[in-house]
Amino acid sequence: MLAFIVRRLVVSAGVLLAGTFLAYCLVALSGDPLARLRQDNTPGVEDRIAEMTDRLNLDTPVPLRYLQWLGSASKCLVPFAAECDLGQSVRGQDVTFLLGNAVSSTLQLITVATFTAMIVGVIVGIVTALRQYSRLDYATTLASFFFVSLPLFWFAVLLKQYVAIDLNDWLADPTVSLPAAAIVGVISGLIWASAIGGDRRRVWISFGIAFAATAGALLILSASGWFASPGLGPVVVTVVGGAAALGLTALLAGFRYRHVLYAALATAAVGAILNLALDQVLSDPSYLTLIGLLLLAVAIAGGVGYALGGLQRKQAIQTSIGVAVIMSVTIFIDRMLSAWGNYFDAVDGRVVATFGSRTPNYDGGTWGNLLDTATHLLLPTIALILVSVATYSRYTRASMLEVMNQDYVRTARSKGLTERTVIVRHAFRNGLIPITTLMAFDVAGLMGGAVITETVFAWQGMGFMFVTALRDVDPNPAMAFFLVTGLAAVVFNMLADIAYAYLDPRIRLS
Amino acid sequence: MTTPTPDDPFRDPRSMGAAGSDPLDVPAAAPTEEIGPDERAHLGHLGLSRVGAEELLRVEDLHVDFPTDDGVVRAVRGVSYSLNAGEVLGIVGESGSGKSVSSMAVLGLLPKSARIRGSIRFRGDDVLGMSQPAQRSLRGRRIAMIFQDPMTAMNPVHTIGDQLAEAVLSHELMPRRKAMARAEEALALVGIPQPKTRLRSYPHEFSGGMRQRAMIAMAIINSPDVIIADEPTTALDVTVQAQILEKLIEVKDAVGAAIVLITHDLGVVAGMAHRVLVMYAGRAVEIGETDEVFYNARMPYTAGLLGSIPSLEAQDASRLRPIKGAPPSLINLPTGCPFSPRCPLATDICREQEPALLPTDSMGHVAACHHWDELAGVDDPTAFFRSESEASR
Amino acid sequence: MITPGDPAAPAADAQGMTVVARTQAQLVRRRFFRHRAAMISLVVFALLLILSFSATGIGPIPGWWKHDYTTVGSVVEGGSPTLSVVPTFLGGDGMHLGDHPFGQDNKGIDYFALTMRGTQVSIMIAFIVGALGTLLGVLIGAAAGFFRGWTETILMRFTDIIIVMPLLAIVSVLANRVGNAGPFWLAVVIALFTWTGLARIVRGEFLSLREKEFIEAARAVGTPAWRIIRKHILPNTIGVIVVSATLSIAGAVLLETALSFLGFGVKPPDTSLGRLISDYQSAFASRPWLFFWPGLFIVLIALTVNFIGDGLRDAFDPRQNKVRS
Ligand SMILES: Nc1ncnc2c1ncn2[C@@H]1O[C@H](COP(=O)(O)OP(=O)(O)OP(=O)(O)O)[C@@H](O)[C@H]1O
Ligand code: SF4
Ligand SMILES: [Mg+2]
Repeated sequence: MLAFIVRRLVVSAGVLLAGTFLAYCLVALSGDPLARLRQDNTPGVEDRIAEMTDRLNLDTPVPLRYLQWLGSASKCLVPFAAECDLGQSVRGQDVTFLLGNAVSSTLQLITVATFTAMIVGVIVGIVTALRQYSRLDYATTLASFFFVSLPLFWFAVLLKQYVAIDLNDWLADPTVSLPAAAIVGVISGLIWASAIGGDRRRVWISFGIAFAATAGALLILSASGWFASPGLGPVVVTVVGGAAALGLTALLAGFRYRHVLYAALATAAVGAILNLALDQVLSDPSYLTLIGLLLLAVAIAGGVGYALGGLQRKQAIQTSIGVAVIMSVTIFIDRMLSAWGNYFDAVDGRVVATFGSRTPNYDGGTWGNLLDTATHLLLPTIALILVSVATYSRYTRASMLEVMNQDYVRTARSKGLTERTVIVRHAFRNGLIPITTLMAFDVAGLMGGAVITETVFAWQGMGFMFVTALRDVDPNPAMAFFLVTGLAAVVFNMLADIAYAYLDPRIRLS
Repeated sequence: MTTPTPDDPFRDPRSMGAAGSDPLDVPAAAPTEEIGPDERAHLGHLGLSRVGAEELLRVEDLHVDFPTDDGVVRAVRGVSYSLNAGEVLGIVGESGSGKSVSSMAVLGLLPKSARIRGSIRFRGDDVLGMSQPAQRSLRGRRIAMIFQDPMTAMNPVHTIGDQLAEAVLSHELMPRRKAMARAEEALALVGIPQPKTRLRSYPHEFSGGMRQRAMIAMAIINSPDVIIADEPTTALDVTVQAQILEKLIEVKDAVGAAIVLITHDLGVVAGMAHRVLVMYAGRAVEIGETDEVFYNARMPYTAGLLGSIPSLEAQDASRLRPIKGAPPSLINLPTGCPFSPRCPLATDICREQEPALLPTDSMGHVAACHHWDELAGVDDPTAFFRSESEASR
Repeated sequence: MITPGDPAAPAADAQGMTVVARTQAQLVRRRFFRHRAAMISLVVFALLLILSFSATGIGPIPGWWKHDYTTVGSVVEGGSPTLSVVPTFLGGDGMHLGDHPFGQDNKGIDYFALTMRGTQVSIMIAFIVGALGTLLGVLIGAAAGFFRGWTETILMRFTDIIIVMPLLAIVSVLANRVGNAGPFWLAVVIALFTWTGLARIVRGEFLSLREKEFIEAARAVGTPAWRIIRKHILPNTIGVIVVSATLSIAGAVLLETALSFLGFGVKPPDTSLGRLISDYQSAFASRPWLFFWPGLFIVLIALTVNFIGDGLRDAFDPRQNKVRS
């Protein structure tokens, strides 16, 4: 395994070097940074030209310039090196400085987008594969064709112009009317009924329950003024924990033997108690504390699963950890929403942001700032992930359908395994393998997408920096963009390769 | 093509000893006496084991249709048979005759699109009418299946041990450790060396023969009553085939199971099966004691199949005598006997009426042919095909 | 023992069904025509092509539409669209085009003419990209897959290098420079970076076909390489190539419009659908139609071409008619 990783590293480094060289030449070719100055006739322009030529190294031939750039850029690899130098912009700023903020905000965007797209896409893909030729399947197929045919920039502008404004207007006086609740209820009913399937009676029952639950919840929430000051509270957290325990047990272990269920429920109970007990700690924790708490939750869940799992220890541990993660996320959202009132006032009610990555001069503590980031992430992420969700779901669907037809799935059934085990352990586990390859490609695609999304939403990330640099004929920041995206692509490719090797034992040996 | 050797019962049914002198007189539905150990010797070196009196599996008038874009594929059209404890039933027939589909229907493994009619009873219980969980508890526990291609029939991402233990754990709650121990035993039983370390191997680390052994181990791990083996050796090397079959018979006796053996290889059936069922175009066209069917075929198709095996006795015509033509489309079946376009004995009635499966001149031997008595009148039924093809040369 | 390799039964197919013999092309055509979404898309796309090319004309040939996409005029009724599709008996204005069905821009240019011109340019670029990118992809993939050895190593590493760079960004760099040279050169630049996916696929197909017996037989009798490729391998990869070419056209439309939106693609005085959206983005609040028409046409083109590609894929995919045995 180690040799495999090392070999991949060497190849990747080579590809990255060649890629940056190609990009460097292209960027150098793309325009003359001095063009504007040359047309200038003001006195002293000669000096400025000379100064810029010197600063950007313009009198060195391109290949040599690349080597010099590479030489100083490679110092960035040394950890904590102060010398990290990616050149200067035409305006004389250090590119490393410009890059600092840009990288982190783009990474935020890309990470959130990747995870959301993957989770949503894979779930949709599995459900549509299992319900092949159902209405849900046709509807999602149609939707995904539509998504991949939608110009991202156009959609982003639409989001910005309509969704943001309308949503903010609605949030000023958030009530759900009866017809609106009914319509949403029907949609939810259709989706659930189609996803659950079964005979006609079951379809109607699922539709009825989903319709009543959705529409009812909307109306109750609206009447109680929840949308004006949203929050979950300990009760909802507990209910979500219990539901997660039941759902994950059904998915991963089934109810035939009770050990797993008990472990999962116990984990949910511990989570609910800890949520109350740690109220003080959770009111304004540092980011490090948050990560620590998540790890603690996972550790406790593992322990509970181990202790209560009995003969199904492995599944019990998996299920408990799943419950713990879901509960942690719920508590996270709960706490973030607690900052709602404060934040609402701070932004004059325009909660859904369309400009930049954070509200200038706003400091609402840990939760307030997180909420601020979340509201800024909302629209760019939606715009960015449409294509990815469509791709993941199509790919997963095709992969699952292919796998479900394999002989070994038939073998698994012939052993008398439950349909759940056949799908989770045999089909999904194999269907996952090609998806890892897609992940690597998709991240590169998202980077490209970020260029557009960041431009539309004025998100101060690398894409924005890149477009600005290209317009200003500013080679070094543009190069920094290629360096970072190239690195990211290479890293994700490697992660995908490793995931592939981990998932597919046939690869491990070679 | 391997040249058959005189002492190789796999290859040539006629090379066997004094078969026929003491036919196992077990009519389709009524089991009678068992064979004594002294009689086993003449049944070939694999030996046939005892047939119990208890009827395990009874399939009656099974139909399977697949609706497709081009029309309804009528893959199985009324197959009936029964299987007693300890018995080996061979199912033979050309590719596409419905062998796999009819046996997969027994395990409920057909795709959802399949439309199944008829009745399948296991120990008297109606399998098709059972609830899903009840059907599942039969699968792998009471009725196990071995598939044709060991290369693709095992999940490449789980270890052999996991895949074997899973078969145990899905029917019985026990510590994994114990299930693994059972897996180890099963591997040892099918003759895999160092079973303990092999538990941790992945399928791709096994050779084809070893994988098929592991498949057999997986099938017997719960000591099932019935094993359905769907062409268990077709994908294997000729040299390995014999070993695997031998192993299959050996473990069958060890766990006391009955076997439905699906195969293309008539030699295998001759050496191993108590009874044979011949399928053609989705129907059973001849059922009977192995020796009865092989020496006194009462259906021209069976005779044609036998004629296409290289024979030692007929040294003069050592060429293969295959049946000419192709099986009919299962979507638009012609009226009359489905074999009539290829049958040397076909007459007008054959083209008009599909023959029913009726008793012939010997006990428990049924055939679906209007002219079975013509076959009874000649010494070597395969000669019909020989003279035909010889004449055309 | 019985049927496999049985010389007397050559008409039996693997499933044991006798199938009316159809040529590959007939099968593909039949399956494609059965794909409803693809057929509808084909018709819509053809109409779109005819409409856009005939309305404003091509090159020196004038179109039938009364307005020109460059002529500045007086802005009528704030430039709002005169198109009406709601018949009078439904309480609408009746079905008529009016003088400026898509409205006018702030300089009074007829927006229908502009949109048609933009559609034309975007489609032309997409087709050139599709053709050129496919050619490059096939050549490079075929060379790598057929010759193996160092040719393959170099070509595939080169492919990797291009793949690690975000497509939109790397194309922007060059497009920014050549945009002034006209849409054709823009298309060439896009094609230079969009062949990689197809090259990989074609190489894969070649690698697997190389090992096939009929190819080995051809090699054994000394058939020259180009002849083997042309006679034996290309016909077997044609499905993949056609599908990929179609889908790359849809991709190219989106890529070109995105580039033009960012300001790195088609430059004035010429226009494209992306350029139109970018130009009138700021007028959005007051005159949303300037934004909607070009967007609608991009979606229409991309969607129909994607569906056609999907239909072709289903038609070519041999797994379609495979039944388990
Ligand atoms: N899922 C399916 N959909 C449509 N037709 C099917 C399906 N499965 C099997 N068939 C058809 O049913 C017929 C019988 O198939 P079956 O697999 O039982 O043949 P077989 O006797 O086992 O042949 P072989 O010796 O090749 O395994 C074939 O014509 C096959 O094409
Ligand atoms: S019924 Fe007629 S056609 Fe059919 S097998 Fe008998 S003789 Fe031949
Ligand atoms: Mg079969």
